[in-house]
Amino acid sequence: MKTIQKLLFTAAISGFLFSCDSNDDPLPIVPLEATLVEDLAAPNDVIDRTTGEVTEERPFQFFSLEQNALVSENEDWDLAFKGTTIRVNSSKNVSAAVVNGIFEEITEVPANATFATDTENSFAIPTGSGNGWYNYNPATFTVTPIPGRVILVQTTAGNYSKIEILSYYKGNPPADQINPMTTPSAHYTFRFVLRPDGTTNL
Amino acid sequence: MFRINLIKITAIFLLIPQLVFGAFQEGEKIILDEKGNPIPFALVKVDGQKPLSVDENGQVDSPSKGYRVVVFALGYETQQLTWEEWLASEKIILQEKTGNLQEVVVAATRTERSVEDLPMPVTVLNTEKIQETGGMRLSEILREQTGLQIASDHGAGLQMQGLDSDYILILLDGEPLIGRTAGTFDLDRISVSNIERIEILRGPSSALYGSEAMAGVVNIITKNNSGQRKADIALRHRSFNSWNPSLELGTGGEKWDANVFLDHFQTEGFDLTPETIGQTQNPYKATTAQVKINGELAPKWDLSLFARGYSETSDGLMQTGGAANPELLEMDNARRDINLNPTLRFKPNEKWLFTLRGMSSWFGTNSNTRFQSNGEVFDLQDFQQFYHRTELQTDYQIKPNQLLTLGLGQLIETVEATRYDDLNRFDAGYFFLQHQWDPGQRVNVVSGLRADFHSQYGNRLSPKVSGQYKISEKLSWQASVGAGFKAPDFRQLLLNFNNAASGYYVFGATLAQEGIARLQEQGLVAQILFDPSTLGDLQAETSWAFNTGFRWKASERANLQVNAFRNAIDNLIETAPIAQLNTGQNAFSYFNVRSVITQGVEIDASYQVLENLSLSAGYAFLDTRDLDVVDRINNGEIFKRNSQNQTRRVTLADYGGLFNRSRHSGNFKINYRELKTGIDWALRAIYRGKFGFADRNGNLILDDESEYADGWVSVNLTASKTLSNGIFLEAGGTNLLNTATPAQPNNPGRVLFLGIKIPVLNLKN
Repeated sequence: MKTIQKLLFTAAISGFLFSCDSNDDPLPIVPLEATLVEDLAAPNDVIDRTTGEVTEERPFQFFSLEQNALVSENEDWDLAFKGTTIRVNSSKNVSAAVVNGIFEEITEVPANATFATDTENSFAIPTGSGNGWYNYNPATFTVTPIPGRVILVQTTAGNYSKIEILSYYKGNPPADQINPMTTPSAHYTFRFVLRPDGTTNL
Repeated sequence: MFRINLIKITAIFLLIPQLVFGAFQEGEKIILDEKGNPIPFALVKVDGQKPLSVDENGQVDSPSKGYRVVVFALGYETQQLTWEEWLASEKIILQEKTGNLQEVVVAATRTERSVEDLPMPVTVLNTEKIQETGGMRLSEILREQTGLQIASDHGAGLQMQGLDSDYILILLDGEPLIGRTAGTFDLDRISVSNIERIEILRGPSSALYGSEAMAGVVNIITKNNSGQRKADIALRHRSFNSWNPSLELGTGGEKWDANVFLDHFQTEGFDLTPETIGQTQNPYKATTAQVKINGELAPKWDLSLFARGYSETSDGLMQTGGAANPELLEMDNARRDINLNPTLRFKPNEKWLFTLRGMSSWFGTNSNTRFQSNGEVFDLQDFQQFYHRTELQTDYQIKPNQLLTLGLGQLIETVEATRYDDLNRFDAGYFFLQHQWDPGQRVNVVSGLRADFHSQYGNRLSPKVSGQYKISEKLSWQASVGAGFKAPDFRQLLLNFNNAASGYYVFGATLAQEGIARLQEQGLVAQILFDPSTLGDLQAETSWAFNTGFRWKASERANLQVNAFRNAIDNLIETAPIAQLNTGQNAFSYFNVRSVITQGVEIDASYQVLENLSLSAGYAFLDTRDLDVVDRINNGEIFKRNSQNQTRRVTLADYGGLFNRSRHSGNFKINYRELKTGIDWALRAIYRGKFGFADRNGNLILDDESEYADGWVSVNLTASKTLSNGIFLEAGGTNLLNTATPAQPNNPGRVLFLGIKIPVLNLKN
């Protein structure tokens, strides 16, 4: 991971959102800071293309939303990344739901969001193209985040968070500038908002 | 009044034995076209007498005296002369009809009818139209026609009415050609040298042909010498060191004829991306051999035999292993195709015609990929398909204005391939019924129904009704409604594939239950995503289509044809995950999921400015959409990102429909015959409008400007001349502006060509 930055999503964006709102709900909502995580490197296992065997196993990269940092496996991690797979920390009761919508518009946890944790047989964030957070395009050989997919996570501390994955390629390039042969993959860029008080407002 | 075909067939059959080939007496006439060439198969008819046929030099001896003489030939304006006029003239010059309305079409009704009598959209490309393209493979002819596109996906696949190659039936002399790779029938397998004409029938024809004839049918008709002795040798050469020698032999007698055709094509291929290993088109060699024998076994009995063999080899280089430790791979691919089609015809009388056809085809591909370093096998794929069909067609002329056709058939198909288990066999039977009826002077109707019974996917019923109304001699209106279907193919039913590299599995529908059970036993399955008992129930893809249009012969010189269509397709087969594996990968199978609409308008206009100058223009508008995508957009479920990776909802205005479809396309052609030199010039500009190339913003649908490939124009020019001794010369080029289109790997850039054809046995002087 190269850098972890905090960005304040300026009043301009929230102001824009609010100006779009109707006047029915004049209650002011305190805008939360969105945190941008850039180029979290989580290389996949090395697989022999002829046999399909894993020739070199790589570790998961464990990330704590609460600390906004990579941590070790025995610490309070929320998410673990390897290749296109994202695990949640089931031993610490971390759960996740995948919903559709625009990141900024999701201002609270939707009532119909179904949170689940990883089990031996399933992932809370489903793997495979089109199922969870990404599409694999067989025509261009690229993995791109599904636009509009937002991952909701209840962290180790019981707080709610919303996450939008922006890119799977190093440097967060625009999708049409990705060259699957040369642009390094398995470099996550994502942004998240963490509600620190345990409420469902995001 | 329309003419129904059995009568026409009768005429041709009865005429042949009665042709007058005797020594010419005094008073013989010669029938010529406007260019001064003899029209060998013109007919001369006097009052109630039997028609006299013209010989190969256009000469005919004088008939017995009569009141009026009619001279006619297919494709020419008929001339009527009084007896005095006939006696007075030595030469009779027939004017060629403009447009292609008089061309005979077989594919549309399985009987011979001219374009102007058919109530459905049909185009016929005759030898001249084929020749003027300078093409050597079939794709190069079809890409210049209005509303047709050639897509590059596992070969040169045709696209018609917005539907892919999978949904277009290709016939060779009326019999289906088999052998598809990932659904695509590669048109480059077909050599052009011996094609007499091509019939293009748009709109579904499952009512006659069953599966695959959903978008339309292309019938390729090869040359028949009608008993003339012939030995034509030809040699053509073009860019990329491509060579195409061919040989046509013909012989025969009064009651039989035989044709032999040999063709070889080889090219070094081309490379649009020299910076990467491997060519865009690999070098390949293709050889075609064809034998056609027709003969009269006994009075009323005719037999024809058709045999064709095709063999193709190609080789190339490929790189694998990523940038870190690249490995070079050598590929050797082979493809072969054998057809054997005997046909027996029995015509007991004027009213009945029985046709028994047997058709067998063997198609195989083999692909061998090895590491260049040590020669070890990287991948070996073998595919062998066999197809046999026996069919009895009965034509019965109920009344002079009604013709009934009944067909009964049975087919066997087997496939054996690396990716399928065992030898697989399908059995099917079918019958079809067609009624051609001219209820009045101005109206004709063709209605048909076909029932298919299949061992794998059940039964299907495909009806179609077409009608034509002649508003005036110059203007006619056509409309047809019909059903189309495409059976699930071998891959969708039988595939048993495991991608070792990325660890996913794909099972054909019939193997899905068993495949998942096996993976479960091995403890590989994390989660079943589909109720396994619902697996395996794969239906045919089905469509309903409506076509309507008109043909307007504005004058002797101007023609206009318009057709509007709408295809509503349901049950399209797609892959979807059926189980999640412990590795995080999925196992997939095939399901009937999508619904698609394709609709549009196609317009063809031609105008003969001068006797030696004609213009034509074509335009096609095409609109396509996936109905499920439209639903999801309406529900606000699809989002897109801009280049700053900001997300917003996709609106219907963003949606561009299916990928690889041009909303606008067209062509403009000028044919000019330079009178002094006798050179024919054909200049064509073929336009393909922008089309969706690939998803760029991650939502997998076409919804952003960056996802389109630019439109382009291919300017093509051919000059040809037939010398007075009969030798034919041609030269020209395609894509003369050398427009590069990276999104179309089948466009090599500018191609120049040269060719010569020598009719060795028929040289004049």
